[in-house]
Amino acid sequence: MKITLALITLTLALTPALAQKTPPPPGPARPLNLPKIAEKKLPNGLTVVLAPLPNVPKISSILTFRSATTASDRKARPGIAQIAASVANEGTDTRTSKQLKEELRSIGGSLSLGSDADSTTMSASSLSEFSAKLFELMSDVAQHPSFPESEVKLAQGNTIQQIRAGRAEPGFLVNERFQKAIYGDHPYSFVVPDEKSISALTPTDLRAFVAKYYIPNTSHLIVVGDIDVDKTFAQIERAFGSWKSGDAPPDENPPVPKRDKRQIYFVNRPGSIQSAIYIGNVSIPRKDKDYFALRTADTIYGGSFYSRLTRNIRETKGYTYSPFSSSNTRAKTGAFLAGAFVRNEVTGPTLLEIFYELDRMRVLPVTDEELSAAKEYSTGNFSVELASQFGLAGRINTVYTFDLDKSFINDFRPRIEALTAADIQKAAAKYFDTYRAAIVIVGDWDKVKDQVTPFGEVTIYDAEGNIINKMGSTD
Amino acid sequence: MRRYVATSIAVALLATTAFAATTPKPLNVPVVYYKLPNGLKVVISEDHMAPVVTVAVYYNVGFRLEPKGRTGFAHLFEHMMFQGSANVKKFEHAKFVEANGGSLNGHTDFDYTNYYQTLPSNRVELGLWLESDRMRSLDISEENLKNQQAVVSEEVRVNVLNQPYQLFEWISLWENAFTNWNNSHNGYGELAEINAATIEDVRSFFKTYYAPNNAVLTVVGDVDVNEVKKMVEKYYAGIPSQPAPKRADLTEPPQTKEKRVSQTDKLANLPALATGYHLPPQNSADFPAMALLVQILQAGEGSRWYQRLVKEKELTLDLSGGLNYFGNEFDYTGPMIMTTRTTYKPGHTADEVLREMDAVIADITSKGITDKELANAKVQYRSNFYSQLEGSFGKAHLLSALALFRDDPQQINSLLTPFENVTAAQVKSAAAKYLVPTNRTVIDRVPEKKGTN
Repeated sequence: MKITLALITLTLALTPALAQKTPPPPGPARPLNLPKIAEKKLPNGLTVVLAPLPNVPKISSILTFRSATTASDRKARPGIAQIAASVANEGTDTRTSKQLKEELRSIGGSLSLGSDADSTTMSASSLSEFSAKLFELMSDVAQHPSFPESEVKLAQGNTIQQIRAGRAEPGFLVNERFQKAIYGDHPYSFVVPDEKSISALTPTDLRAFVAKYYIPNTSHLIVVGDIDVDKTFAQIERAFGSWKSGDAPPDENPPVPKRDKRQIYFVNRPGSIQSAIYIGNVSIPRKDKDYFALRTADTIYGGSFYSRLTRNIRETKGYTYSPFSSSNTRAKTGAFLAGAFVRNEVTGPTLLEIFYELDRMRVLPVTDEELSAAKEYSTGNFSVELASQFGLAGRINTVYTFDLDKSFINDFRPRIEALTAADIQKAAAKYFDTYRAAIVIVGDWDKVKDQVTPFGEVTIYDAEGNIINKMGSTD
Repeated sequence: MRRYVATSIAVALLATTAFAATTPKPLNVPVVYYKLPNGLKVVISEDHMAPVVTVAVYYNVGFRLEPKGRTGFAHLFEHMMFQGSANVKKFEHAKFVEANGGSLNGHTDFDYTNYYQTLPSNRVELGLWLESDRMRSLDISEENLKNQQAVVSEEVRVNVLNQPYQLFEWISLWENAFTNWNNSHNGYGELAEINAATIEDVRSFFKTYYAPNNAVLTVVGDVDVNEVKKMVEKYYAGIPSQPAPKRADLTEPPQTKEKRVSQTDKLANLPALATGYHLPPQNSADFPAMALLVQILQAGEGSRWYQRLVKEKELTLDLSGGLNYFGNEFDYTGPMIMTTRTTYKPGHTADEVLREMDAVIADITSKGITDKELANAKVQYRSNFYSQLEGSFGKAHLLSALALFRDDPQQINSLLTPFENVTAAQVKSAAAKYLVPTNRTVIDRVPEKKGTN
């Protein structure tokens, strides 16, 4: 029976064979189903943003404290925003850490906080049937974290150990050195606090920090998921209505540094069998008019799988597994960077190709085919992002954190589609600044130094960040 | 607008019960399932929430079936699937997908290898054409093989060899916990064996395992079932089937005594411990209880082991692991271990950590778990399950696994039931039966250098 069936299918296969040589054309465009977003301000100043997305019976929420940044209180207590975020959900005035975690389990929930250069965010989710309880827990953690002595001590000790563990990883080291190289003394250079600063923090410091910086009038709450808008607003009002507003603290971010020459920052990791390479520079703030052009230049250069960098150093030369580039834009400025992890033997050749591809973007226009592909890639994947609860919540969060036009989500497609090859080249020429690039490498200095020194002056660091040796083009 | 469950009524009912012991309404994922005459399994599920579609192909071959002397070959082969076919040049698969607004990837696992793209839904035919072209006519050249051997070698360096711990909670644990080579060998591969692979190896692996009768094609998203059926017929009906591959023997003799391994690590700064307990088969009566026990022991910061090790005893920094190192309860078929990994603090020993883990187990085997704990575990389990189904890829993954391993993707709508029916007594007896030292492998991995305390 199998044989006769196989014969029939074989003859069928002969007819459409010709039609299968080229890719089939797209069908008619489908409706975008853009999210319906509702916004409301509570009397205490908290901005609440809701977007129904009932793809599963859950809700996903982001509460962003825009005042609690890496820069907040950094002079007196460096790292306090990070430690406050990590201990805030370890107990409140009325709940122990363990009670909190148990209550979260009972609603199929999760709740965690993190801080970065522009804000502290609380991310939380639960089954939608328990949304009121989730808001109650989020509000409790936002308003009344108690920072019990024992929890603070434990977190201090564990954070110190975790950072030590991280210093064994090339990925951690290359990122840390890169942020420091491009941002200098600016708070954006912060990655992890030093051990002394961590140990110095007290529960009193942390409570004072939260009272000052976790305030509703400089915060926004985003909820996406299987929700009814009116009922959810009512639940949020009940949970967050009593949160007292405070004085918005002044912006503590100093001006952004500029780099004036190309330099190599080498983190020595004896025994490394690969060099971890980041090359990049400061770029633009999130609100800059060049945002879309830079983003698209990044897509073509190394930000997508079929990018120039991947085709070159992976698919043609086999130097590396996952070359990449990224354009990360924030409130005050951003960074563009290209990176690859490569075996020791091809460290120099990789630097050469990364620079070659950067300069090619600056000097020659991208092809029409590349530009059109990058546009489709951006707009198509934007739809996928908006189809996930945390994807949509995260996208809305950028609108409120960076004060973008409220129409950002609806405008995304036309803004991308309007770009020309000249726009891309201009952005690349400006921000793929190879002449003033920071070159950060984590690897075995003795094994790769001869390949590295032709590219510029080298400062060598150890894994803890101490300068071991400063040198020119010789060792 | 499609919804899995109408929840507003459930909320009102719940408010009155103490432990939120909810019986959720059944899921209602639409599933169309059939087979082409050449044996290809086809799953189609409409979902019009967003204008996207996932097209995925799952092949019934993973690490366990790769040839001896060729560790890492199943994964190397996965890379070769992006190197071109009769009508798609090297790496152009990525070009076509991205230039049409999509993203793509592939993954090699214990028992399957998958390839998938998520695209704007009006490009579904492109995804089907691309997958059919490589299933029908993979183009294999010496030059491309050499190139991908280099790329995969870098992948192994970046993810394993140049990292502290070198994924010991997978690679070393499996090497030690299992005795049958098919289960125990390093699936990421030894560099020398990855680079020893020949064109002939690639051709024969393709012919044996990459036939339509050894695969599932799954389409999930904003599409019309009848239109997709026509496209599937057009692109896949003519791909000839192959003799069914001989199934390797995956059976594992029962473990009778504890295995303890000590390792040193050249790159790590802190010591770490990994444990693996053999699990009952998925179709055994004990399995759902075991899955909930895993949840209770080690899922999240509320779990018993996390609370004991990290919070109460302050012995360890973290806790990770689960029932299937790469996936979930449904996307494997051979013997499996529950894995746990924890980084512990300098100045302590692996024995101290194990003693505390054992004390938690002993507490469960003597006193059992509370009704509230069980109810919470079920709610958390349900919540995690829904999260897996949130996107078109997540749904495609589960449907594909159910078609591949159970020949029944409709089960997606009743998968939760056995887990919802577990009793506290079953959890207690599962702990007593499986969480015994004779059933486990322990690896203690300490930094080679001294004095990082």
